[in-house]
Amino acid sequence: MIEVHNLKKTYDVKRRQNFFHSTREKVEAVKDISMKIEAGQIVGLLGINGAGKTTTIKMLTTLIEPTSGSYMFDGMDALMNPHQVKKQINMIAGGERMIYWRLTAYENLWYYGQLYGIENNELRRRIDKLLKLVGLEDKANLPVETFSKGMKQRLQIARGMINNPKYIFLDEPTIGLDAVVTQELHEEIKNLAKEQGKGILLTSHYLSEVEELCDYIYMVNNGELVVEGTKKELTDFVFTKKYYAFSVQGMDEAVVAKLRNHLLILDGDSSVELEGRTANISSRLELSSILAEFAVREGLVINELHKLEPSLEQAVIKLSKNIEREEKGIA
Amino acid sequence: MDLKVLNATIKKEFQIRLHAYPMSFMVGCILTSFYTTFGAWLMYHYFFRKRLAVDFTELAGTSDYMSYAIVGSLMYLFVVRTCLNVSRTLITELREGTLESLMLAPFKRTSYFLGNMLLQTFMTFGETAIATLIGVFFGLRIHDFSLLKFVVATLLSLYGFFGLSLMLGCLMLYARDTYISQNTLFTAMFLVCGITFPKEYLPSWLQLIGSIIPVTDALTLMRGALLGGLSTESFMLVSLRVFILGTIYIVVGFPLMKQVERIALEKMEG
Amino acid sequence: MKYFMKVLLAESYKQHRNYFNNRLIYVSLFVWPMFSFLAAYYSYRAFDFGGNIISYISTENILVFILLGYMAMSFFRSVVQSAWNFSRERQSGTLEYIYLSPANRLAVLLGNALSSVFESAVVMFIFGMLIILFNRSALNVNIVGLILVLAIFMVMALLWGVFLNACFLYSRDTDFLFTILEEPMEIFAGVKVPVVIFPGWARIISCIFPLTYVLEALRQVSLNAASISSIKTTILISLVIIMVLLGATLITIQIVEKHMRKTGNVVLF
Repeated sequence: MIEVHNLKKTYDVKRRQNFFHSTREKVEAVKDISMKIEAGQIVGLLGINGAGKTTTIKMLTTLIEPTSGSYMFDGMDALMNPHQVKKQINMIAGGERMIYWRLTAYENLWYYGQLYGIENNELRRRIDKLLKLVGLEDKANLPVETFSKGMKQRLQIARGMINNPKYIFLDEPTIGLDAVVTQELHEEIKNLAKEQGKGILLTSHYLSEVEELCDYIYMVNNGELVVEGTKKELTDFVFTKKYYAFSVQGMDEAVVAKLRNHLLILDGDSSVELEGRTANISSRLELSSILAEFAVREGLVINELHKLEPSLEQAVIKLSKNIEREEKGIA
Repeated sequence: MDLKVLNATIKKEFQIRLHAYPMSFMVGCILTSFYTTFGAWLMYHYFFRKRLAVDFTELAGTSDYMSYAIVGSLMYLFVVRTCLNVSRTLITELREGTLESLMLAPFKRTSYFLGNMLLQTFMTFGETAIATLIGVFFGLRIHDFSLLKFVVATLLSLYGFFGLSLMLGCLMLYARDTYISQNTLFTAMFLVCGITFPKEYLPSWLQLIGSIIPVTDALTLMRGALLGGLSTESFMLVSLRVFILGTIYIVVGFPLMKQVERIALEKMEG
Repeated sequence: MKYFMKVLLAESYKQHRNYFNNRLIYVSLFVWPMFSFLAAYYSYRAFDFGGNIISYISTENILVFILLGYMAMSFFRSVVQSAWNFSRERQSGTLEYIYLSPANRLAVLLGNALSSVFESAVVMFIFGMLIILFNRSALNVNIVGLILVLAIFMVMALLWGVFLNACFLYSRDTDFLFTILEEPMEIFAGVKVPVVIFPGWARIISCIFPLTYVLEALRQVSLNAASISSIKTTILISLVIIMVLLGATLITIQIVEKHMRKTGNVVLF
C-alpha cells in the first residue's frame, strides 16, 4: 500500500526583475495532501490544470522530493529509499512524445527493459506478452513514427508495464485521444487493476473518466484536497446534479422568482440564478420538459434551453464553496 | 512587387527578432569569423613567419596576406548570416505550423523573401562591422579603396546571395533539415570560394564548383574594391558574371520554391 | 556490474538506432571534416615552407599532419554532436522515463557516448586508409606507440563525450555551448596549426582541450616515430585528464539528481 501524509512541496522560484536583480519567491505547488493507494484499486486524482496533480505524481514517483510530509511504500520509507521504489513503480503519461519514434515498438520496450535490468530471456517473454496485451503484436517491428496516436498511446501502456510494476501512475493518459480509443484504454486500465491487481493512480481533468474508472477519488484544488471519497459518496455531490441554461423573452426577476418557486416544489435542492438574460438552473431532476411546460403555461417564448454538462471547474468551485459553508456552519 | 507584403514581412520579422534575438547564434557567427582570422594570423605570423609562397601575390593581387584572409572571412560571415536567415524562413514557418496559413494568403513570394533579405542585410551589416573591428586588430588594412567599386560589389553580392539563399531554402524545405544542409553548403563554400587562399590553388574540378557559387566572384569584386589588384576591365567582367549567376539562381529559384512548398505541405499531411 | 553493462549497451544501441539511422549524419562525420581538411591543406599553399619552424613538418608530410588533425577532430566532434542530440531528450520527455528507472546514470551517459565513438571509429578507419593510400612515404610510425596512443585517444574521446553529455543534458542554452566548443577546438587544439608555435596566451587556452594532448601524441608517433618515453609527459597528462573528466561527470550527475529532486527541473545551469 502506498500511503502519504501531509505532503507539501514548495518551489523556490527566481523572478528576474531586471538584468541584475532577481527576487526569490516561494511557490506552494502542493500544500497538504494525504492519500492511500491499495493494490488492485484505481484511485483518481482530479483537479483543474495547476491544481497540483503533476507535482503530486512526481513526488509519488520519487522524481521530486517533498518539502515535508511522509511517504510509506509497502511499509518502507520511500523518501529514504527512492531507488527501491523506482523498481516497483512506473508511470504512463498522455501525449505522443516520451517514446523513441525512430525505434520500433519492440526496440522501445527492449530499451526500457534494459534500464530496469530485466534478464534477457524474461524480457523477451514479457515484451511479447505486453505487445499482445495492447494489440500491437503485428506492429512490433515497425518504427513508432508510423503509428497512429492511439497506437503510440497503447505502446506507452506497454512501456509502463515493462518492469511489471506493483503501482502505476497514469498522468492524463487519454489526453488528445478520440472517444473510441479512449474507451479501449479505459478497458485496459480496468483490466490492469482488477485482473492483475495493480495499484493505480489516475490523474485526469475529465469528470466522466474518473467517474467510470475510479474506486476512490481525491479532488484537489490549489494544492489542497477539497474532498475525497468513494465514487458513491462523491456522486451525490458532483455527478447527479444537472445544469441548465434557460432564457425566455422578457426574462426578469419576477419570472425567475416564479420559476424558482415552481422548481423548489418539485425538488428542494434545485436552484435558479439569473445571470444577464439567462437563468442558470441546477437540480437533481431531468428538467427539459418541465421547463418547456413552464414556458408554455406562462405564455413565454423560449430563446434558449440547454442542458449543460457539469465541468470540472464548476464542480471544484462548488465543492470548495460547500466546504467553506460547512466549516462556517460548524464554527 | 507588393510593397504592403514587403512592409509587413519586414515588420513581422523585426518583431520576432526583437522579442527573441538569436543572441547565441549571432555571437557564434562572429566567433567563427574571429577563429578564421585568428587561424590565418597564427599561420602567417607564427608558423611561417610572414614568408608567403612565391605565387601568392600574383594570384591574390596583393601581398598583404592578413587583409586578404580577413576580407574573405568577413564576406563569409556575411554570406552565412544572410543566406541562413532567408533560407530558414520558410522551414521555420513549416515547423511552427504557420506555413499553411501563409500559403493560403495570395501574396507574392518575391516581396516576402525580399523583405526578409532586407531586414537581415541590415542586421548583418551591424554584425559584420563588429567583426571588421576585430579584423583591424589582426591587421586588416584598406589599400586601394574605390567607393564606386565597393557599392557595385556590395549590391551585386546581395543580389547573388539572394539567389543562393533561395536555392538553399528549397533544399532545406525539401529535406526538412537545416543543420546538415546549411553546414554542408557552408563548409563547401569555405573550401571552394577562395575565402582564405586564392582559388587557383584548388584542383580544376573544385575551381569549377567554386565558379558556379556567386560567393567566389563576389569576393573577388570585394577584394578588388578594398585591396586593389583588379583592373577595371576584369572588375566589370566579374561583375557581369555575378549578375548572370544571380539571375539564373533567382529565375530558377522562385518556381522551384513554389513546387517545394507544395511537396512540403503534402509530406506534412502524410 | 552486469546491470551496469546491460544499461550501457542498451543505451548505446538505442542511440545508434535513434540517431545514427539517419544516413545524413555520416555527412557531418565525414564530409565536413573532409572539406575543412582540404580547405586547411590548400590554405597552406599560400606559404613558403622554408619559413616553417617545426623540423618534422615539411611539404611532404603536411597533408598527413593536417589529415590526422581533422580525423581526430571529427572523432571528438561526433561525441559533441551526439551529446547535443541527447540533450533533446529533455524536451521529448524520454529523459524523465530514464530518470524514473533505477538505471545507473553514468551507464546511460557512457552508453550514449559509446555509440558515437563507435560510429567515429568507422570514419576514422576510412581516414586512416586515405592517409596510407596517399602518402605512405610521409609516415614515420612507432607501431607500439601508435596502438597505445590510439587506445588512450578512444578512452579520452569517450569520456569527453560523457562529460559533455552531462553538461548538455543539464544546461539551458545547449546551442551556445555547442558553438563555444566546436570551433575553438579546431583552432586551439592544434588541428590545423600546431600548438607548439602558438603565442603563450593561446597555448594556455589550448591546455583546456583534451584533444590538444592526444593529437600531439598521435602526430608524434605517426610522423616522428616518437618513442613512448619521449611522449610520456603527454600520455601522463592525458591519463590525468581522463580521471578528471570521469570525476567531474560523476559529481555533475550527483548534483543534478539532487537538484532535480528538489526543483523538479533537470536544468542546472
